[in-house]
Amino acid sequence: MLDISVVLDEIKAQPFREITIKTPHTGTVTFADIRQGDKVQGPQGQWKEKPGTLIATLERERNPKPIYAGEKGEISVLHTELEGRFVEAGTSLAVVRHPLTRAEVEHIILRKALYLFPAPERAKYYFTPDVDKKIRASDAHSVAVREGMELLIMSRMKREVPLHYSGPSGVIYSVYFKYNENIDAGSPLIGVCPQDQLPAIQDVIMRVQTEWTERD
Amino acid sequence: MDNAQEHIPLHDHKILVANRGEIAMRIMRACCKLGTAFTAIYTADDAASGHVRLARELGGEKSLYRVSSYHDANELMAVADAAGCTAVHPGYGFFAEDFRFARRVTKRDRKLIFIGPSWKIIRELGDKINTKRLARSLDVPTVPGSDRPIYDELEAERIAKTVFEFQEQQGIDHPLVLVKASAGGGGMGIEEVYDPDQFRSVYRRIRNYALRQFKDEGVLIEQRITDFNHLEVQIVADRSGRSPVHFGTRNCSIQSSGRQKRLEVAPGFAPEALSYTFDADRVLRDIVDYSLTMARKVGYDNVGTWEWIVTRKGDPFLMEVNTRIQVENGVSARIARVRGQGDIDLIAEQIRIGLGEPLGYGQADITFDGLGIEYRLIAEDPNNNFTPWVGHIEQFTWKPQPWLTMLTHVPTDEQYEIPTEFDPNLALAIVWGKDLEEAKARGLEFLRDLRLTGHNATGEPLQSNVDFLKTSTERILRF
Repeated sequence: MLDISVVLDEIKAQPFREITIKTPHTGTVTFADIRQGDKVQGPQGQWKEKPGTLIATLERERNPKPIYAGEKGEISVLHTELEGRFVEAGTSLAVVRHPLTRAEVEHIILRKALYLFPAPERAKYYFTPDVDKKIRASDAHSVAVREGMELLIMSRMKREVPLHYSGPSGVIYSVYFKYNENIDAGSPLIGVCPQDQLPAIQDVIMRVQTEWTERD
Repeated sequence: MDNAQEHIPLHDHKILVANRGEIAMRIMRACCKLGTAFTAIYTADDAASGHVRLARELGGEKSLYRVSSYHDANELMAVADAAGCTAVHPGYGFFAEDFRFARRVTKRDRKLIFIGPSWKIIRELGDKINTKRLARSLDVPTVPGSDRPIYDELEAERIAKTVFEFQEQQGIDHPLVLVKASAGGGGMGIEEVYDPDQFRSVYRRIRNYALRQFKDEGVLIEQRITDFNHLEVQIVADRSGRSPVHFGTRNCSIQSSGRQKRLEVAPGFAPEALSYTFDADRVLRDIVDYSLTMARKVGYDNVGTWEWIVTRKGDPFLMEVNTRIQVENGVSARIARVRGQGDIDLIAEQIRIGLGEPLGYGQADITFDGLGIEYRLIAEDPNNNFTPWVGHIEQFTWKPQPWLTMLTHVPTDEQYEIPTEFDPNLALAIVWGKDLEEAKARGLEFLRDLRLTGHNATGEPLQSNVDFLKTSTERILRF
């Protein structure tokens, strides 16, 4: 079993994540009134309905597109040289040094503690309708998986094939793919927790909740 | 005319190549031949594609942009403006037959030329029912049946009866009538009727389905033709729209189970080598004449393809018009000569006339020599319903031959990962021979010398349609 104290110490030594803010499409960049070193906020509100700090506006075909910080943190790099220029899709505008939140620390630890079922091919993945219904009705924890179970649909090149689960039996603890997103071969799709380890995992989560203090 | 702008010489134009892969490469090469600048686009998924590399090699200033998607018109227009383009070449697929896109290109504030027919023509011929009606008004044969949505049961029955009778007169053993929802698409709401007595119940079922699904109970009734060859006529016309010419016929009957073309031959039949149950020369002549008649009628003003069904009796029926350059244009170009000169490039011709140059030659100047075969090399499993194969390609080599043209975006000097976003087309191979026998022998020689290997993530070897193409070569142009 994973030594939670060691892992937590490792994370504490490096409690930041660098997030690159890229342009979603082409356009002409106008930066908001921000500077390197400024603190920015991620989306806020009960349902994250308030967008984060405005980083820049990307204008294309007379449509301005606001680009917000996706997480809170500090601007460590700002590509002000792009001001007023037409840029390609996927151009880096800024880098945010983001202090890890509890949820993210949990995520890191879970990825080490859970059994990760990987994507066999680069493709889009969906849960089978039965499983999908169950997850929508309650949550992923309610779905028990076992070897050979038809769990996912793998979709690529306009064709769909069923994907069977292989690995230890347990419940789905984490889901690592999003709807309509391409997943690379080898990247995890779901994290599975064997039934008997469930108390141990919940213990880990408990410890993160109490021991990790979020920075502003 | 939307495209009537002041005349700018070819080398002052700049073309946005609004496509990817093999066709993007052919468009860039054609631009270089004409001395016209270009700008190419690519997505993050496609960064390893040969068209990106070629754009870097051949392109000048502002000649390559990464975009979020090939399907996003805003992205294309923004790049066209940033790069200073004057025209857009849509290639095939994506926006090639989208009249709204063509209209936007030509009507926006910063106007661009759409390298294709004018948007009104795309709209007119893009609608199959409209095309059928137009064809009938010119006495061009179309698949027997209705040329507009039918809403009346008695009328529907009357049409079905004539379609059944027509097939009996034709000596067809098992006449079939197709009932389809007019507003449907993609194979939804289509049913076959084998027995005239069953027609009414099928008609009602489809009508109710159409009303539920598409909120329109219009139904089309057509003859279902099962035993046919798929032919097409290559039309080329300049912006005057007055003097269209043809670049011959092609036979595209060898297809996958999903009715996608795999092998094309020009010309459409070979009556000097094979015997047919009909006068093949006459059929080819007829479909060419009919296609030109329609092109003249609508004032067709760029390249286009008229697609035909030819039955075993030798009756041609117009299926549809493709208002764009097609994948297989190269096989027609391979056998064509203009005033005795070979090395025809229909894409360069398309760009040249699209930008407003007059065609500069007539039908009498175009001659044909020999026979061309185009193979579409695709990573797929023909034995398993042509399922696409994904993985990386390790070796892709062939023996250069004077009679062989290879068109591919797959690099041959490094590994290539097939992107999962698009169909796994790898290359087009065009083989020329002086006659059917020589072309077939050379085709087989090419396929035998081809080396194409690779593996997927689980270590299984690459699957391709090479064997399927080999066996298909034997039945080329046979009916």
